[in-house]
Amino acid sequence: MTIGDHLHTLYRLPAHTFPGPDGRTDGLPEADAVAWRITSDVYDADEEWPEAFARFCAAVETTRVRALIVGAWQEAYDAGPSSVIEALLAARERFPALRALFLGDMVMEECEISWINQADVTPLLAGFPALEEFGVRGGSGLGFTALSHGALRTLVVETGGLPVEVVRGIGASDLPVLEHLDLWLGTPDYGGDSEAADLEPILSGARLPRLRHLALRNSEMQDAVAAAVAAAPVVNRLDVLDLSMGVLTDEGAAALLSGQPLTHLKKLDLHHHYLSKPVEERVRRTLEPAGVEVDLDRDDAEEDTEDDGTVWRYVAVGE
Amino acid sequence: MITSPLARPASPGGPRFAVVGNPDNRRVSLFADAVRAAGLPGPRVVAWTDVLREKGAGFAPDEIVRIDSPGENREVDRLLRDTPDPTRVEGSARWYARFTTALRTLRGGIRLDDTGDLAVLFDKRVCHAVLDAAGVPVPASPTSGPGGAPVRGWDDVRTLMREHRMPRLFVKPAHGSSASGVLAVEAAGGGRIRATTSVERAADGRLHNSLRVRRYGSERDIAAIVDALAPDGLHLERWVPKASQRGRAADLRVVVVAGRATHAVVRTSRTPLTNLHLGGSRGDLASARDAVAAAGARWPDLLEVCERAASCFPRTLCVGVDLLPAVGWRRSFVGEVNAFGDLLPRLTGLPGSGAEGQDTYAAQVTAALRRTARPAPPVQNRNTPCLNPT
Repeated sequence: MTIGDHLHTLYRLPAHTFPGPDGRTDGLPEADAVAWRITSDVYDADEEWPEAFARFCAAVETTRVRALIVGAWQEAYDAGPSSVIEALLAARERFPALRALFLGDMVMEECEISWINQADVTPLLAGFPALEEFGVRGGSGLGFTALSHGALRTLVVETGGLPVEVVRGIGASDLPVLEHLDLWLGTPDYGGDSEAADLEPILSGARLPRLRHLALRNSEMQDAVAAAVAAAPVVNRLDVLDLSMGVLTDEGAAALLSGQPLTHLKKLDLHHHYLSKPVEERVRRTLEPAGVEVDLDRDDAEEDTEDDGTVWRYVAVGE
Repeated sequence: MITSPLARPASPGGPRFAVVGNPDNRRVSLFADAVRAAGLPGPRVVAWTDVLREKGAGFAPDEIVRIDSPGENREVDRLLRDTPDPTRVEGSARWYARFTTALRTLRGGIRLDDTGDLAVLFDKRVCHAVLDAAGVPVPASPTSGPGGAPVRGWDDVRTLMREHRMPRLFVKPAHGSSASGVLAVEAAGGGRIRATTSVERAADGRLHNSLRVRRYGSERDIAAIVDALAPDGLHLERWVPKASQRGRAADLRVVVVAGRATHAVVRTSRTPLTNLHLGGSRGDLASARDAVAAAGARWPDLLEVCERAASCFPRTLCVGVDLLPAVGWRRSFVGEVNAFGDLLPRLTGLPGSGAEGQDTYAAQVTAALRRTARPAPPVQNRNTPCLNPT
């Protein structure tokens, strides 16, 4: 699988693409009614992203804008979004109501997730202290230095390979009101070089007192993640545990079930998994009677077996 | 004066059809069904094997002749490109030479296709130039037309990618069809490169089409495939990021009959290749129209682009246009014009197209009868000399 759709919503607001340079800007939605998607093109752009953003700032009452989605920037396969970040930071006084920001909403046809060049996003979080939601797509070149952020409730990092420095930076951050953390760990092939032990600061929950929704997913080492989660202190404060999209096999599921009880969860998401039927059944029997919603949709998790018996299993979003 | 051709009884003096095709192919049977459904005797089927072995076929002056695809037949494939294995990719230049030669051996009849048009339609480099000159939006190409750059192998592709700042492109055999031999290539800094294709390279270096889309990440593998394809002629085209529908890349196949866009389907895929036999599936036309409108574009404009593309082939009754809406649905490009792009079984016509309730074959039968019912169809007259060399 790859990323095929742009974001439909952000901050519970429907995404709305700001028209291109030749589009009409009359009849736009109210500034605070939508999540504004501002985009250039990866290839053959008519205008660079900062130019599109400047047109947006001129056309929309920016002081009321609550959510911004940064779409494509030019040549994202070769260039990071430093000019995007500069433009956003330079305009921050004009966005006092901004509560949600997503950086890099590109689909496969524009730029595969692991080909997107990212940048250090720490300045954005520092520059927008009132942000409640922040999301970013693409792990290549992504930076995240440990920080304190008193408003952030949702942090989403979608990658085909999450660099260990980012995992450590997030783990070392003080995020006192963070409720929803979603990390796509990816594969070593695309720069996902963390190990399960690197997740410990997150799993301890020490700096995440309000966490309710934890997703550590799309991981090639999903079994090891599941085993680490099985004994993690943070789990008993969660409503939702999401270990989906990765290479989760019977081994990881068994480790998860042999750990602390999970019956307090509202939902356990394991979709796109490689579990055998008996283990799937065991997961259901253990959790569903307690009222836990379990997602065991196999989705497009398919093994490839080579002639020599080697079995290949894949994360949901790589490339 | 005949006002309703369909109402005419099947009589010895009435219109009669012939089709050149592979008799056991469903294209031929679907067309025959449409002819009979119009109250006419079934068409005379002239097999491609016979045309090729006997070096020609003749048609009566009043026979309405349809040319259908020579594809999906092992023996015909062998006769056209000397390969006993239809999955092999190589040999399309020979296929093209023999196919266009065979077209010129067809004598007489009232033709629904044109040898010259077909020769253009089966050369993507020439076709691109013809469309471009007619103002049809097409993805940029360095290999367009007679002045286009020759592509002798992977090194030439690399050079053109660099010179034309084209890090993402489609590499297509000039005479291929149905995504055969097509590679979607993307490159980035640091030597990173990838090709997505249905071509499978066997251990002995031979290339086969498979039904599975695979990805090659090694430049050596990609170069080996392209080098093997290059002797047949290659066309390069910028890869325009396509719009998406429900998480899948989407494009449109629009059938144009007698100048009007009559049928359309959305094709969606998780890969850059949307062909239905490669895991593509039919998408939702209504939501595509909605997406076009929401982007500030006009659906009729998209159909008009397809009709303009078809108008480059005025002596061909029907073509299938692949329309590529770019990300966001605001702009569209014509990716291909297919001579045999009408195989869309059971699909009925677009509202307002005049082919409502008709499949692509019935629409063509109606249009052919309307065209040939005229006392002196000017198009056919102009066409006859080059088709009937006797």
